[in-house]
Amino acid sequence: MTAAPHQETRTAAPPVDPPPDRGLPGRLGRPWRRRRKRSSDTLAAYVFLAPALIGFTAFVVYPLFRSAYYALTSYNGLSDPKFIGLDNFRRMFTTDPSFWPSVRATLLLVVLYVPLSLAIGLALAVFCNQRMRGVSLLRTLCYLPVVLPVVATITLWKFVFNPQVGLANQVLNWLHLPTSEWLSSEDSAIPSIVIVMLWSVGSTMIIFLAALQAVPTELYEAARLDGAGPRTVFFRITLPLISPIMMLQVVLQMVTALQAFNQPKILSPDGQGGPGFSTRTLMLSIYNNGFPKLGQVSQFGYASAQVWVLFLVIVVVIAATARFSSIWTYSDHVS
Amino acid sequence: MILPILWMLTVALKGPSAVFEVPPRLLPHEFHFRNFVDGPKVIHFPRLLLNSVVITGLSVIGGVMTSMMAGYALARLRFPGRKVWFYVFVGSMLLPPVVGIIPLFQLFKDIGWYDTWLPLIVPAFLGGNPLFIFLARQYFLSIPHSIDEAAKVDGAGHVRIFVSVMLPITKPAWITMSILAFQMSWNDYLNPLIYLYSSQKWPLSVGMASFVSQFAGQTPDWNLYMATNLLFMLPPLAVFFVAQRYFIQGLSALGTVNQR
Repeated sequence: MTAAPHQETRTAAPPVDPPPDRGLPGRLGRPWRRRRKRSSDTLAAYVFLAPALIGFTAFVVYPLFRSAYYALTSYNGLSDPKFIGLDNFRRMFTTDPSFWPSVRATLLLVVLYVPLSLAIGLALAVFCNQRMRGVSLLRTLCYLPVVLPVVATITLWKFVFNPQVGLANQVLNWLHLPTSEWLSSEDSAIPSIVIVMLWSVGSTMIIFLAALQAVPTELYEAARLDGAGPRTVFFRITLPLISPIMMLQVVLQMVTALQAFNQPKILSPDGQGGPGFSTRTLMLSIYNNGFPKLGQVSQFGYASAQVWVLFLVIVVVIAATARFSSIWTYSDHVS
Repeated sequence: MILPILWMLTVALKGPSAVFEVPPRLLPHEFHFRNFVDGPKVIHFPRLLLNSVVITGLSVIGGVMTSMMAGYALARLRFPGRKVWFYVFVGSMLLPPVVGIIPLFQLFKDIGWYDTWLPLIVPAFLGGNPLFIFLARQYFLSIPHSIDEAAKVDGAGHVRIFVSVMLPITKPAWITMSILAFQMSWNDYLNPLIYLYSSQKWPLSVGMASFVSQFAGQTPDWNLYMATNLLFMLPPLAVFFVAQRYFIQGLSALGTVNQR
């Protein structure tokens, strides 16, 4: 009795789902001798893939190895690179006065931006997920800053933060709160940049919203029947179910924040990460060293070494999140 | 959320001295609609716009075309190495673009492409964005195989199947990708900043940003700038309101990347 339906599905399976199975025996044997059709497939596939493969070799593989080599050299882009071993890294960690401040600026940005962006994004998404009038308008409004060109919003905020005539201090005045120096003071410069980045929280919201809409409504109904309040429902059902997306968001936002460049570049008063080194993020530091103002010599070797420090930090962040994610994300396979 | 945008509107209508009034007024007492004419002239907006349109247009066409082709090969054709290449492309999505920036700059400089648009356009034609390849492949996988078999029986080759069967079916996928590509290229600031030296080749992003960075302690004319900034925002806004569904789909697609 139990064997009969099993056999039925087996005989039915090949025509329904051929793609993954048909390729294997072909690859193990000698595919292109036996059937002419397959060899034409291979040729066509590589023709279709050709642009992407050429680009991948020239713009991904080659630069990857080349920049690893540059990191170990002294190179100004004009004379040939000179191999100096780990001197770039020694200089970075011990003598360069701007390196540790730029690490500090980058970490401060990550620590302030990532949790706030996740919390606000999730809160907005939960709010917009309700069936209420006006919600779709709110959703569009939240999303609007994401649509606008990044440079347009950043320059707009640069004027909003103008201490004398900017909107930010004007609003604080109305509310009878103390005003701030915003971008011109070392202490408030990074928080100001975080505010600008948080203005585009709509992108985080949309991803959470998609995740929330994928949660089956039966679960909510069942929980309500069992007498769970809204808080219990949120922490026991919603949050665990969207935890895989949450993890993805953590990685995405961290990688974004670690590579923040446009905001500090345009917002800092001198365009170099000022005042002091307060907004000189690692990306901006790399840019300043590699592509300095006219008249200064670019330090491609040293900038490449910094690129690799940033790259390794990003790899560690991704790997660590992926490694520890199994502890706190929910997956179907357990149940 | 919306407050800074409204404020930008009022600044755009103010006269040059009213912007710096202390305490600042919320509404302008006289409306200077001429800002919308003078501002673009001072910033050379038409030229910047033309540059941006050419760069963005070409890189959208290139990026979407090559990704669709690669996606088609990876999803619909059986050939040795398809799994390997797929994982290679997905893996390269995780690679931060900054890693290649200095060697690429040197490479483009060596072949004489410094201060031209080519470094901004050619990489797109060579599969510049692995995310698009991934999205294209996922969409192609969802199309039943009977469709290409029917086309094959009718005697269509791969090019024919791709152009006249697959492209019409996959319209939602490539519209979404085009919008993503448009946004990325329109917003790109770092690459044009590095590769373009002469200001008459700049796209909008670099040109607009350079206007507000102070040279020699000079403050920019914010009223003229904000008026022009509004014009800068219009094209993406238009795309957003025309194709809102695809726009949001594109962004949500980023969120669903890891669900497979």
